[in-house]
Amino acid sequence: MSVTPALRSAGRRQTAALTVFLLVQTLGTVFFVGDVIGDLLEDPVSVHFIFEAFVTAALVLGIVFGAYSLRRTIELLRTQEEALEVARGALGQVIDRQFLAWALTPAERDVAFLALKGLDVADIAKLRGAAQGTVRAQLTRIYSKADVSGRAQFAAFFVEDLLGEAIAA
Amino acid sequence: MASPRTTEVGTVGSASPPQLWDPVVRLTHWGIALAVLLNGLVNDGGSTFHVSLGWMAMSLLVLRLVWGVLGPSEARFSAFPPNPGAALVHLRRLAAGRPKEHASHNPAGAMMVYAFWITLLVVIGSGLVLTGGATPMRIAADKAAVASGDWSALIVKDGGGANDSPRRETVEGVHEVAANLLLILAALHVAGVFVESRAMRRDLLAPMILGHRRK
Repeated sequence: MSVTPALRSAGRRQTAALTVFLLVQTLGTVFFVGDVIGDLLEDPVSVHFIFEAFVTAALVLGIVFGAYSLRRTIELLRTQEEALEVARGALGQVIDRQFLAWALTPAERDVAFLALKGLDVADIAKLRGAAQGTVRAQLTRIYSKADVSGRAQFAAFFVEDLLGEAIAA
Repeated sequence: MASPRTTEVGTVGSASPPQLWDPVVRLTHWGIALAVLLNGLVNDGGSTFHVSLGWMAMSLLVLRLVWGVLGPSEARFSAFPPNPGAALVHLRRLAAGRPKEHASHNPAGAMMVYAFWITLLVVIGSGLVLTGGATPMRIAADKAAVASGDWSALIVKDGGGANDSPRRETVEGVHEVAANLLLILAALHVAGVFVESRAMRRDLLAPMILGHRRK
């Protein structure tokens, strides 16, 4: 039906996985650093320690980069979602304005919107508590006001606008 | 038809608290809460389990503090600077039933956060002094050595300076008092969330778990 929930759950899975990874990394690093400090107190001048210091630096850098990339992922997901909201709102406005321009009655606007959402006559009739014949008649009037041949062309009317804009932008 | 919808994640230019905290904030929050409750109420001090949990809490705290610099805007320290004056103003507004919305922790909540962190640092620091900074692995190894009859592990530790001196008793006292303070703070925190949720008519708990369920 809509891409938003799929996008959101995919984003959540991704950030959750990155977070768990970051958590495990931090646990490992803190325990390791604790061990290194213990070694250092016992024997400060060993070659062993130099290697351990190197590994420690690598682990700490790993946490910093991991945290940074997780932040970037979270911010990217938010930007995408906001862009989607804006686009959705903009499309809604375009549709509302077009419906007004076609001089659809309030009932016709409702039916037209549901038809755009992909509901069939039976669904629309059930949702509005009207007879299927009424809905069919309303759809016919809507198509004639919009000067389109049928449902496919009616839906394409708005998609075409969107595609045109996307190419221009 | 195109009713304005609000995003569930993040805030679009408004000063309302997050609908869902990021996973690092949530995981560190509940991880530390669990470690504090388990170590404060259930298991006994000095055991390998107790020390392991303490180290885990330390790791979580380290991660949260790193996140306070590198995390998204509402998780960063700059989003909730410690400001006792603002906290008092917020509490007064809350008492009057007109609390203002904030993009991150509210000023009173922010003071609670810093109080938690400072107390946690005291508990963790005193715990490290008590164990001589030994990692859980080392403590487990020492315990195994002592159990197998090799008492030298005990002697080495006594050489470290923190034996049954008055100093050790002081540190033990600090550890215990700070740990109890943590539990008191936790109770205050829960009460604060409850009161604030009612005053704001907004569920403040859900954003710290999985966010609001969509109907």
